[in-house]
Amino acid sequence: MRLISVQPDGLPALRGGAVGLGSTPMTDNDAAAPPSADPDRVARFERDALQYLDPLYGAALRMTRNPADAEDLVQETYMKAFAAFDSFTEGTNLKAWLFRILTNTYINIYRKRQRQPLQTGSDDLTDWQLHAVESHDSRGLRSAEVEALDRLADQDVVEALAALPDDFRMAVYLADVEGFSYKEIAEIMDTPVGTVMSRLHRGRKLLRTQLEDYAIERGLIPAATGADGGEG
Amino acid sequence: MSCGNPHEMDCSEVLSKVYDFLDGEVTATDRDRIAQHLDECGPCLRQYGLEKAVKALVLRSCTCDHAPESLRVQIVTQIRQISITYRSTGD
Repeated sequence: MRLISVQPDGLPALRGGAVGLGSTPMTDNDAAAPPSADPDRVARFERDALQYLDPLYGAALRMTRNPADAEDLVQETYMKAFAAFDSFTEGTNLKAWLFRILTNTYINIYRKRQRQPLQTGSDDLTDWQLHAVESHDSRGLRSAEVEALDRLADQDVVEALAALPDDFRMAVYLADVEGFSYKEIAEIMDTPVGTVMSRLHRGRKLLRTQLEDYAIERGLIPAATGADGGEG
Repeated sequence: MSCGNPHEMDCSEVLSKVYDFLDGEVTATDRDRIAQHLDECGPCLRQYGLEKAVKALVLRSCTCDHAPESLRVQIVTQIRQISITYRSTGD
């Protein structure tokens, strides 16, 4: 009897040998095999995979925005990862592989729950390209503004992050907190690198605007900043 | 819109690549050209400084999340239970 109905088949996106993620094309034997009963496999999984519990939980917390759901998500992720562990190639990027399962699991749960597509915004690049041109004269930026942002409470940053659309938030989180490369994020989010870049650009732009607003609200930046322009 | 001085790489190109530069995702050639531009151009340097600060803030605010110990225990318990179940059913 099975206690939990998780198996590698539940993770189609993990197959196909995404470069660098350690998911390797499965052999016929692997595809047919249930999670191995090998005690060494359990020990290896506990040793190798559980070290990423904190980062996965941190990411889950940003995704779900509440601790109870984050715990459920991480638990589900580990169960799926354990079931699919035979398809993971030892020595490749286990952390990214786990993050990919986490992301897939979140998307599946989210989509089931919401019955609607993820809030992504448009992924075209036009926006940030335009932004690049217009940003020079935005606020008369100066180092005092950087110092003001630095004085914001962590909670403000957490809230600003939480307000971002899902895809933008995760791209920013994976890049800035976990330090994944664009290529790794593309594989984790199952999307082209260009889309990752677009999400990062737009997510950071929204985030920065929100943080600047917080800084003004907190009295860290005078609201009138920018009146004298930012021309150099 | 810019400091008005001529640059090898113009301001709009630098700003369009500022995140890639921050993330270490530009080629060595672009990295050097952007770095040189930032040395020469005050407005772009300020913009870069701000983006860098936001990136650092995200990291700062998100690094103290620790999973509850109960979650770790639960996961380990379940993994071992699955394993035992398979063994006992003669996998």
